[in-house]
Amino acid sequence: MSEHRFTLRLGDKRYPAQLAETPDPPRVLYGIGDPSALVEGLGVVGARRATPYGLRCTRLFAGWAAGHGISIISGAAIGCDREAHLAALDAGGDTLAVLGCGPDVDYPRRSAPLLAELRRCHVVISECPFGQQPTRWSFVRRNRIIAGLARAVLVVEAGLPSGTFSTADAALDAGRDVLAVPGSVFSPESRGSNRLIRQGAMPITDVGELAQYLGLEGATPAAGDVAADDTLRALVADPMRPDDLARALGIDIVHTARTLGALEAAGHVVRYADGRYGVR
Amino acid sequence: MQATVATTTLTGVEAIAVEVQADVSPGLPVFGIVGLADTAVQEARDRVRAALRSVGFDFPNARVIVNLAPAPLRKHGTGFDLPIALAVLAATGQVPRAALDDVTAVGELGLDGSVREIPGMLAHAISAVRADRDLLGPFSAGRVVGVVPQLRYRGIESLGRMKGGLPATASPKASRVQTPAVPVLDVADIAGHESAKRGLEIAAAGRHNLLLVGPPGSGKSMLARALCGLLPPLTEAESLESALVHSVAGLDPRQCLDGIRPFRAPHHSCSVAGLVGGGTPPRPGEMSLAHNGVLFLDELPEFGPASLQALRQPIEEGVITLVRAHGAVRYPARITLAAAMNPCPCGYAGDPQRECRCTDGAVSRYSARVGGPLYDRMDLTLRIDRVDPALIIDDAPVKPMSETVRGRIATAHAFAGIRRPSSMRSQLQPDARALLEDAARHANLSGRAVTRVVRVARTIADLEQSVPIVVSHVAEALGYRSWDTA
Ligand SMILES: Nc1ncnc2c1ncn2[C@@H]1O[C@H](COP(=O)(O)OP(=O)(O)OP(=O)(O)O)[C@@H](O)[C@H]1O
Ligand SMILES: [Mg+2]
Ligand SMILES: [Zn+2]
Repeated sequence: MSEHRFTLRLGDKRYPAQLAETPDPPRVLYGIGDPSALVEGLGVVGARRATPYGLRCTRLFAGWAAGHGISIISGAAIGCDREAHLAALDAGGDTLAVLGCGPDVDYPRRSAPLLAELRRCHVVISECPFGQQPTRWSFVRRNRIIAGLARAVLVVEAGLPSGTFSTADAALDAGRDVLAVPGSVFSPESRGSNRLIRQGAMPITDVGELAQYLGLEGATPAAGDVAADDTLRALVADPMRPDDLARALGIDIVHTARTLGALEAAGHVVRYADGRYGVR
Repeated sequence: MQATVATTTLTGVEAIAVEVQADVSPGLPVFGIVGLADTAVQEARDRVRAALRSVGFDFPNARVIVNLAPAPLRKHGTGFDLPIALAVLAATGQVPRAALDDVTAVGELGLDGSVREIPGMLAHAISAVRADRDLLGPFSAGRVVGVVPQLRYRGIESLGRMKGGLPATASPKASRVQTPAVPVLDVADIAGHESAKRGLEIAAAGRHNLLLVGPPGSGKSMLARALCGLLPPLTEAESLESALVHSVAGLDPRQCLDGIRPFRAPHHSCSVAGLVGGGTPPRPGEMSLAHNGVLFLDELPEFGPASLQALRQPIEEGVITLVRAHGAVRYPARITLAAAMNPCPCGYAGDPQRECRCTDGAVSRYSARVGGPLYDRMDLTLRIDRVDPALIIDDAPVKPMSETVRGRIATAHAFAGIRRPSSMRSQLQPDARALLEDAARHANLSGRAVTRVVRVARTIADLEQSVPIVVSHVAEALGYRSWDTA
């Protein structure tokens, strides 16, 4: 076992300064990995039951920021969290996970391989001691650490109600900015993020806006490719079921089914678990 | 004094010849039955004795031994009553022996001598025709066995009738049932659900298995019932096969004989034996009763794991084999499986109006109850969502006419019958094949899944009367594959 365990007390030299100055910093941080990786970064959080849209946004923004030297901080949960870490790793950037259980505990189980990778090459921390199992409340408490380590928290996709709201609240308590990715007016999975924008969160609608916010001048944001056909254009705006799509475009159901089947096979659209189709 | 009477006994849906030999000899009055007879056959002794006496025949005051041959075959049921009685009567000279030479007899006796119906009369009739023998049996069965071509049937109401010699042969016309017991639901009465109806059309045209997933009250059960109404009526051969299973199970086969496709919807509390068949003596299960028709399993994950597992093989093979100590029993089970389920335990996952309160673990456990191998056998998975009430009210003008749909399905059936049965691979156009390969890699489809996609694409092509399977057929077929919810 080459994993490196460490313990940082509030007041230690290596205790992250930005976290220490928050209203309610943890007295002790337990960690595995490289403690010098506990730098200020961008918190990226979102729903566990993310839609392909949410995952795609996560990958776009987290991947881009990590590729430009910003560490991505998240909670290793399934859905958006996981995608944020993976996008950062794929971009060759830095990322760290804050857990609601001991830093050596694999929770959720499905994130075990990801956590192993982070412990080995990056860092995983928690205010829960080694070996402690998660409790219901430890996750809510954990969110203030994510917010405290970050200079801003980006909410990629959140329904209503949503656990991500507690991270947004913690960010505001700690004086951090809250950024949010807007979603379709019709998408229940974006109701939370849209509401955050109405309440004053900064909308992030493309990479350029994120770059500007992070002060990364000279970055060339990739223009989103404009959807070529009617079906894709309709689905970019609003993921739909085949029946609704057929009605919206005024085409018959057989034609719609064939178009969607071909687009899915080609990897242009994906089916949501609820039967809607969205653009990948 | 000895006499022999021919009879038949059921094994699966076939009636096998059995000889009933009676030996009446002087000695202590005993009445014994030998030859691997079960309790119901042993009880024949009491019924036969009482029946003989009540119609005025004599039961010999002697040693009566009845042997059922061949000995290794296990004999079940009450159908041996009549042949045993006849063998005793012939052995004691109360009925001329020669009269029974060309006759196979089956039937249960009442204590008053009445001759009653037993399960599987159709099977006994078919066997009698094959052996070129007359069938002697309960009079009331005449209306059912009358459908078997070339059958010479001699029906008797009571054992007493034998005093006047054998009853004449008759070819009774089978009586027809006037109205179907299950009211068939018309697709035209279903508002919205356009993709689902298209899915039903394809399922009906190609007899594909179908899984409907959606929240409570969205119309899954309704759609499954409509499927049955889309299928063309049973052909003559199918009619007889399905009727045979019903007859063997002791159910009224007349609906099948009228060409009405079986629709069976067993409750999820149904036992494994009730579903696929079993028991002692073996009886066909719901799956065989649905032979040539639709088996509808509502609330699929609620069926026990053993039941779901037992379904797998017969779905693929169209036949159920029950292995017994004395050999295997086979029942036909060529079915179209229609199954319905909620997307999660609370039912509302993915419903735009109601929030799902299930944990991720609960959702995956629920879905895992059905299991990959069974999902894999579902050719079409359709997501069913609640239809906007406004649409239910306004939808009248765009409803597909059920007659039109049924017509398309019948044409597709006919086309599939006449198109040259070249291999599906050669019909698959190069670009269609490329699309399928892409998709298979993308979605990690199993070999079985790929085969099933091709079969669905074949049906879609049949609906257009196209021999080649082109890219749009495959594209549409792919859309009906179940998707990964992870
Ligand atoms: N599109 C529709 N057109 C006409 N009637 C409908 C439609 N949708 C639902 N209904 C009505 O609602 C009833 C409930 O539908 P059904 O029993 O098929 O739901 P279900 O999806 O099987 O629900 P559950 O999951 O509770 O079993 C139907 O019997 C029908 O009367
Ligand atoms: Mg139902
Ligand atoms: Zn639920």
